[in-house]
Parts: sequence; C-alpha cells; structure tokens
Amino acid sequence: MGAIVLQVKNISKHFPGVLANDHINFDLRKGEIHTLLGENGAGKTTLMNILDGIYYPDEGEIYLNGKKVDIRSPFEATKNGIGMIHQHFMLVDTLTVLENVVLGLESQGFYLNKKKIAERIKEISQNYNLNINPYAKIWQLSVGEQQRVEIIKTLFRGAKILIMDEPTAVLTPQEADTLFKILRRMIKEDKSIIFISHKLDEVMKISDRITVLRKGKLVGTVDKKEIKQKELAKMMVGREVLFRLERNPMRRKGEVLKIEDLETHNDKGIKILRGINFSLPGGEIFGLAGVSGNGQTELAEVIVGLRRAIAGKVYIKGEEVTNLYPKAITKEGTNYIPPDRLKVGLVPNLSSVENAILRRYDREPISRGIFLNYEEAAKYTRELIKQFNIMVPRENAPVKFLSGGNLQKLILAREIREEPALLIAVHPSRGLDVGATEFVRKKLLEERDQGVAILLISEDLEELLMISDRIGVIYEGKIVGMVDIDDANINEIGLMMAGVHKNPLLKGEENVKV
Amino acid sequence: MLKFEKRENIPLHLRILIPLISILLGVLIGGIAVMFSQVNPLTVYKAIFIGAFGSTYVFSETIVVAIPLLLISVGLILVFKMNYWNIGAYGQYIMGAIFCTYFALNSAETMSRPILLMMMCIAGMVGGALWALIPAALKAYWKVNEVIATLLLNYIALYSLKFLMYGPWRNPRSFGFPLTKIFDLNAQLPKLISHTRIHLGLIFGIIAAIIIWIIIKKTKFGYEIRVIGENEIVARYAGINIAKNIILAMIISGGLAGLAGMAQISGIIHMLQIEINPDYGYTAIIVAWLSGLNALTAMIVSFFLGGLFAGASQIQITMKVPIGIVGLIESSILFFLLGGAILTNYKLYYKGRKII
Amino acid sequence: MRPDAYAITIILLAATVESGTILLFPIIGEIFTERSGILNLGIEGMMIIGALVGFATAFMTGQIYWAFFMGMLAGGLASLIHAFISITLRGNQVVSGLALSIFGLGVTNFYGQEFVNLQLAHTIPQVIIPGLSQIPFFGPILFKQDYMVYLSYILVIITWFILFKTKAGIQLRAVGQNAQAADAMGVNVYKVRYFWTFFGGLMAGAGGAYLTLNCAPFWLDGITAGRGWVAIALVIFARWNPPYALIGAYLFGAINALQFQLQSMGTTIPSALLSMQPYFLTFILIIVATLLVKAKHIGVPKELGIPYAREEK
Repeated sequence: MGAIVLQVKNISKHFPGVLANDHINFDLRKGEIHTLLGENGAGKTTLMNILDGIYYPDEGEIYLNGKKVDIRSPFEATKNGIGMIHQHFMLVDTLTVLENVVLGLESQGFYLNKKKIAERIKEISQNYNLNINPYAKIWQLSVGEQQRVEIIKTLFRGAKILIMDEPTAVLTPQEADTLFKILRRMIKEDKSIIFISHKLDEVMKISDRITVLRKGKLVGTVDKKEIKQKELAKMMVGREVLFRLERNPMRRKGEVLKIEDLETHNDKGIKILRGINFSLPGGEIFGLAGVSGNGQTELAEVIVGLRRAIAGKVYIKGEEVTNLYPKAITKEGTNYIPPDRLKVGLVPNLSSVENAILRRYDREPISRGIFLNYEEAAKYTRELIKQFNIMVPRENAPVKFLSGGNLQKLILAREIREEPALLIAVHPSRGLDVGATEFVRKKLLEERDQGVAILLISEDLEELLMISDRIGVIYEGKIVGMVDIDDANINEIGLMMAGVHKNPLLKGEENVKV
Repeated sequence: MLKFEKRENIPLHLRILIPLISILLGVLIGGIAVMFSQVNPLTVYKAIFIGAFGSTYVFSETIVVAIPLLLISVGLILVFKMNYWNIGAYGQYIMGAIFCTYFALNSAETMSRPILLMMMCIAGMVGGALWALIPAALKAYWKVNEVIATLLLNYIALYSLKFLMYGPWRNPRSFGFPLTKIFDLNAQLPKLISHTRIHLGLIFGIIAAIIIWIIIKKTKFGYEIRVIGENEIVARYAGINIAKNIILAMIISGGLAGLAGMAQISGIIHMLQIEINPDYGYTAIIVAWLSGLNALTAMIVSFFLGGLFAGASQIQITMKVPIGIVGLIESSILFFLLGGAILTNYKLYYKGRKII
Repeated sequence: MRPDAYAITIILLAATVESGTILLFPIIGEIFTERSGILNLGIEGMMIIGALVGFATAFMTGQIYWAFFMGMLAGGLASLIHAFISITLRGNQVVSGLALSIFGLGVTNFYGQEFVNLQLAHTIPQVIIPGLSQIPFFGPILFKQDYMVYLSYILVIITWFILFKTKAGIQLRAVGQNAQAADAMGVNVYKVRYFWTFFGGLMAGAGGAYLTLNCAPFWLDGITAGRGWVAIALVIFARWNPPYALIGAYLFGAINALQFQLQSMGTTIPSALLSMQPYFLTFILIIVATLLVKAKHIGVPKELGIPYAREEK
C-alpha cells in the first residue's frame, strides 16, 4: 500500500429530512482495495456520489494527491481520474459498447473514428481479461458483461481511482470471484479501488482496509488483518446481530401453489422462464435464490397475473389460474409484495388511505354500490397503521412523503390483511433499515405460522437462509436445485446459481451445465 | 444558479396563488400583443368586459357560449384524470350534431316535441360516444397514440360534415349554400329565460358537471380512473381493467361532447351547417386544465372563458380586433400555469437563496 | 404509356414532392426533438407562425430566401417557449405543446389580418439542375424543383448521418433513451434537449414558410390545415428515422396531390370526401405503424415526455 491518493475531510451532505453524511473523514491509499461497509441507508452511496460529482457536499473538502479539488459534475470527477461504476449501470441499451464508451468524451471530433476506438477497447479488454466485443449492443449482453463494459468505460478515460457500488449484487459467487481477480490485477497496475458492500463475507475476502459507516456517521476505519467478521457486523449495526431468527417448527398444510412446466417471455421477447416446476404447501416459506435476471421477477408476475404464460400451468389451491386477470387471482387468496415500492406497489400522489384500500375498494364495507365509503376507508387505514406500527403523520397527504420503511410496511399491511393463502414477496426488505427489515422478516414468519404459503424471492442469500424452510435456485429460467434449509450449504447454492451443480432432490432434471 | 429542491408538503396558498397569477400574466401578455398593433390594451380589455358582462343581454350571451364549453370540458376532465388525451372533442361534437340532425330532419312531423328532443339528445350522445369509441378502442387494445388518433378523426368528422352539407342534406331551397332546412320548433331546445338565447342545455351542463364531480370523487370508477392516471402499473397490479375504463370514460366524454353539439344546433343555430362552433372542442381543453381538472371549478372557468370569447366576438366587429386574441390570451395563461406547476412540488433557489 | 397519361403522372409526382416537402421539414425536426426525449405537439402552431412570418417578410421585402429564413427562425423562437416549460420547468409536455399550437393559431389570426387576400409578387423560383434533370422519369420529378426541396434532400442525408455516425448523434440517442446515463457520462441533458427542440422549431417554421411562399402564395387564417398534426403522426410512421420520414411525407403529398388533381379535373366524387383522404390515410398509417413498432421492438425513445431532474433522491 502506498501514499495517500484521496482524502475526504469532514464531508457532510443533507437531503430533506435526513442527514446522509455527517462529517465523514476517509482516505484512500495507492494500490489498495478499500471497502466502504454499511447497511442500506448508511450513507455509502451518497458519499461516493459526492466523489463522482453527482452531489455537492454541504460541508467539507476533498483532496487528490494532496491538492484540494472541487468536483461539480461526473465530468469533472472523470477529469480528476475518478471513475464510478454504479449499482444501476449507466448504459444506454440501444447503443453499442463502443458508442456507450465514447458517450460524453470531449477529445473525439465530430466524426466518429470507430476503428481506432474499437482497437483501444479491445486492448483494454484483453489487458484485464474482460472479454467484451466493442460492436455488441448493450441489450444483447449479460449483466456481468454489462458491468465489465462499465469498467472499460472508466479505464478508457484514464481512471486511477475506481469506485464500485455493490458490484456483486447482480453476480453469482463465481462471477464475483472473476471480478475480484480483475480488481486484484488492477491494483497491481497502481490503480486504487473503493469497494462498497454490505456483504461481510465478500468484504473479508477482498479488502485491504475497511471503513464502516452507520446512519451517516463514520464508525471507524480498520485494517482487514486486524478484525473479525463478528466485530465488523457489530460496527455496522451497533448491536449484536441475530444471524438466525427464531423459527417455530414448520407445519405443512395442503398444496397451495403448484407450477407445471411454466414458460414465459421477458419484456424484450426473449424466453426467460423455460419450464418451471415446483409445488408449495401452506405453512412453508420457499425461498427462491438466484442472480437477478434469471426469471425470478417474471415468475412472480406470471403467478399473480401480471404477465402472460406462454406454456405451462399455475394452480392455486387446486384450481387452475394460468393467465387469469390479476383480480381473479387475488380472489383465489393470493397477495403480492412487489419489488418496486413506489413504482409498482403504491400510487405516490394518492393519499395513504387511497393506497391502503387498493385491495378491497370494491368490497363491502368500503364499497357501497358504485360509491366508495371514505369513512370506512379511513377506519380501515387506521387499523392497518396501528397493527403494523406505521408512521403516517397525515393520512390524507400524498403517500410519497413517507419514508421507505413505512411505505413497505403499508404495502405489507395491506397485503397481509387480505388473509391470503399464498403470499408472493419479491425483495421485501430491499432498501430498508435494520428495524424495518427485522419487522418484515418477523411478519413473514408469523404468516407462515398461520399456515400461509410464502414464495420469497430475494437477492439477499443471508435473508433467504434466515427465514426459509426450503431453498430453491433458479438459473436461466429453470429451477436447478432445491434443498431443505437444514441441508443448505451456501457454497452449493452458489454453484447452483451458476448452473453447475446437480441436485439429488430434483426429479427428472438433467445435469445442467453452464 | 437556478435550483429546484423537493418540498416536503404542498403549501395551500401556492395552490391558489399560482393559477391566479397565471391568469394575470396571461392577460398581461394579451395586452402587450394588443399594444403592438397600436391599440390601447386597457380600452380593449374594458370593451371585452363590457361585451361579456356589460348588460343583461351580453351576460346571457356569455352563458350561451359557456354551455357547450362546460359540457365538453367536464367530459374532458374525466379522461384527462386518467392521462388519456382526448383532443377529439371537436370531432365528437360534430358527430353529435350530425346524428341528432337525422331526427330533426326526418322525425319532426311524427314525434311530439319532448320525445323528439329526447331522441335528439340520445342521438347526439350516441354520435359523440361512437366517435370517441374508435380512438378509445385503438388505444385500449392496440396502444395507438390517442393524441394523433383523436386529432385526425377531427378532420375526418369535419369533412364528413362538409360532405353531408354539400350533398345529401343540403336544403334544396338554400340557393346552393351548405345548410339544412331550419329545424321545426319541435326540434328546438326550449329557452330557459325569455328574451335571451339561454336554452335547456344549461341545465344539461350543470347536471353533467355535478355528475362528473361525483363520479371522480366518490365512486369506484372515479377511484380506478385516478389510479390509472397516476400509475398504470399499480392499476394493473390492483386488478383494475384499464381497457374497460378507457372505453367507458371515453364514451362518457364523447357523449358529452356530442350532447354539446346537439345542444348548440338545436338550441341556438336551429339547423345544421358547416360553421357550428366546433372550436369549442379545443377551448374546452383549456377550460379543463385551468379548472385544475375539477368539474365544479369548471363551471366558473367556462363562464369566464365564455365571457372572454363573447366579449372578444363583440370587439371583433366594433373595434376590429381579431378573434385570435382569445387564443393568444388563453394559451398564455396556460403557459404560465404549466410553468408554475413546478412550484407546488419544488422550492425555488436562486444563487443559494430561497425565493419561493 | 399514353403520352398524356405519362405527362400527368410526371406532374403529379412532381407535385407530390412539392407537397411532401412541406411536411418533410417538420417531420425531421420532430424526429430529432422526440429523440431527445421531448414531445412537442406545438408543430401546428410553429408551422403557422413560420408561414405568416415567411409570407409577411416576402411581401414586405420581396426577398424570398430571406423570408424563408425568417419563417424558420420564427418557428425556432416559438419552440423555445415549449422548451423552457418542458425542460427547465418540467411542465406537462402534452398540454404545453397543445397550448403552443393554440397560441400559434391565435397569434397568426391576430396579426395576419392585414395580409389576407394579398398575393406575393414573386414566389420561390424553380431551379432546374442541369444534367440530373435529364434522367428519364426521375429527372423532371426530383430535379426541376426549387432550392428548398433540394435542401430537404440534403437534410435527410445529413440528419441520418448525424444521428448514426457522429458523436452528437450518440449523445442525442443516449439522452432520449436513458437520460440519467447520459448525464452521468457528462452529457449536458438540458443543452441537448434545448438544441434539438429548437431545431424542431426551425424545421416546423421552414415547412410553414415553404407552404406560403411556394405552394399557396397567399395568406389565409389557418392555412396549415392540420398539417402539423399529420407531421407528428408521420414521425411515428417514420420510426424516428430520417429516411423513412421521406416516405411518409411523400405518401401524404401523393394523396394530397392526387385529390387536388381529381378535384380540379372535375370528378364526380364529392370534394369533401376527396379532401378527407390524406387525413384518413394518415389515420390508417398510424394504426399500422403502431402495430409494427410493437412487433419489432423498435423503440419509442424511452424518455419521451418524461422530464429530467438530476438530484432526485
């Protein structure tokens, strides 16, 4: 590890209602991988967005190689040798790799010399083993490949400092290892890397030093060799972390959900589910693991009727419900907690009351002939608020003013109160703080104890391991493995997520090779 | 320099101030335009005011103009709430006029007045509803852009009217002019107030406004429409049948526009001709938006815009000020309203200091 | 072919090009505006403003090309109203565009009174291109036109080149497809949108000016007769690609020229039904184009109509 290349002094940034960064101090040495650790909402992304010029700090200074710098835009960040790879890729899917790399570059003239640029891209690609074709269109590439395009973009612009925001969130454990190899090669070439994560295993594997943030404040910076995972967790969360939630023994009851040879297309018309088979009894939480993009969201959408199945069948409580309208499926006792709160689960400009009744506005007593009984609606909403401990300062104000955790609680409350037989929950605790996350998981377990069948789709393996009774792995549109929780082994699951392993519990499935 | 920052709540005083200031600024722009053609804007505005409200008769004429504006705009409010842009009220109005004329021409002898008028009302609504159904179905099932579809249908409706007027429905005794014969008394909507031209259509308008307001605020249909307008994905997820709602709302909107057409030719013009004020279909869009998509407010706004139009029509003759001044003022008010809307959700900072 | 049928065909096709050029300018302009993510429904308003300004300038100065330029400029300036409301103030683009059209119609009615029933002494001169105009069949159709038509040919080629072969084109396409990514890459989203919206206004003004300076050398209230709306429809037909804009514009021009010819020849078909055909055709084209776009996943620019703001947390 070498000299200090980047220093962040006393940085503060506030947004309406929240202090995202509170007088943070942080430094980066040449040739190191420095991890920024913290949970969702700790302030890691905000801090990095400041370094990347997307936000401007309210207080504090940034020094590069000893000189003070003022970064007012991503363009200036790039000029200063900082390249950021965001969680959500900044790629234009209809353009090619080459066009994306070249986007925004000043040095190129009016006419695009595609050959020269393509050569340089191939050079970088070979140098770091990135394996990317410059003329491919982004929408044709896999998620891992798209991430590598992002890396090429930064290297093409001469980045010396790379910031990677939760890069493994979309990768299999094997792809993550490939990424780590690439990163280690980079630091040998005297690049410095800031790595943002909330996954302790990874952090211990890849870091040289670790800085922990919690609720916007700096907790401390430590050397990887001098700390243990458990201590890190405590720094991150501030209290003893439950690595396993208390669970009652499972009591299976009847077959609630049955999926047979299900197939469907994604939004781009490519077949994304290629024959899904499983069944789910009441009283069980079936956790579906898989790298995002393998069909999980589409599976949930087909079950609840938001997406057309092109083959196969879905049965709920023995009745076939394939391709029925969402309302009909809801009537069968199915409820859905969608992955995107403000885009799919709630109407941001309508009030909490109007959002709360979304599932029962056409039933008595809230419905009265063709009219809506707003008094009953308000009464029902208040019940939900009390039962689920939701903070709603004004029940008639637009719901978009509530915090993420309270929004998720509202959705959860609304769906659970319908007393479903089947509950589909997709990324239910994404973006929530520790308290809200615990609440969500506890509620799911409660429902399971009541005999509800729960299909839990999550990117968070830790979460799946924590509350599932059975874990399945989806890969390229098929279920490639299934284990009871007591037999679950995280390495095996990781391999299944990459399509390598054969699982004995699966009948009639061939060995699915990558 | 100029920066916008999200608000945490929407201040009430702004919600009233912004529309008011928009109206003032729009009127100001109109005044500046008038100045450029060497006329004193104050004289013009005073004349418009007198031409709209200055005597009992012109006051009643203002109401006459307001009637179709009200009928059409409340229908538009219903579909605009759903984010469905019905620009076709012009054509739906024409179709309503055409359909009701069929009965006016053919059944005047055989039906009594109340029955004939009822048939004409129904025919007018059916005509407008059918013309609205076409783009509604195209959008609901094939996702065809409704702005273009409704607009093109306007021109098709207009030329259909011209065809009828120069062709099969032309009055043989009209010396070649494209008019039908004058409607029998049977086919004319009764007047509400003697010595004015205010006809039964006013009652239609008020009832329509109240019904639309109730639908939007208090019924399940209205709730579904609002959800669709705010977030289509959530609507689908909630099980709301979007196609059905688009079609139903457009049938109502087109029906009201068609009824407005019927009311105008039966209550005022007393015949079918080419000039039947279909431009009300476009003005009604402005009424709907200026009313903040509130059907009750639309009653007030259509009255005032009706006054603007009636007054401007007067000075078109007396002061030779072209009628285009109306469109100029209306669109300017709309510009300021649209631009000012951001302030309800965002605070304005200039060079670091908060302005609004 | 019989000699006079051949002659009529040539005349019709030449008229098609002329009539289509009125639309070609605004279609290309709006293609670029929408590619940047801005929906501008004010084309009718910008076109008619260009028409009046062009006519008035020509009438007062006698300089045809200067008048064309002024008409173009007027359209561009008008577009800035919509640009400011849509881009900086993030207002509702559908209503803003409609307001611009109503504004244009109102303003031109107001100031156009003194020009009604006046005729231009000189209209756009025909410029025959030597050599190219001798080509059998196509020569007289394509190369016995005027400078504006030739400008439109070059425009199609240049804009296609800019869109797909230059850095500016990449930036434009990026802004319209993923504004956040473009912003993160250092592209000034606002500047790109203002530029191409202004370009759209210039083009709309050009179309309107061409109408009054050439095809109908007099001024009438509302002379654009809905062509602005047709242009927007044909943008969808062109799938936001300049060469296809040519096809759409000329298709409309052909029907227009044909029905005009039929009417002047005195057919038995009622004139109203003939006049209806161009709009009816466009209506069908839109339905077809929408179905095709759906089938081939060729996108509407994803950001169309959605205002962009950077610090949205």
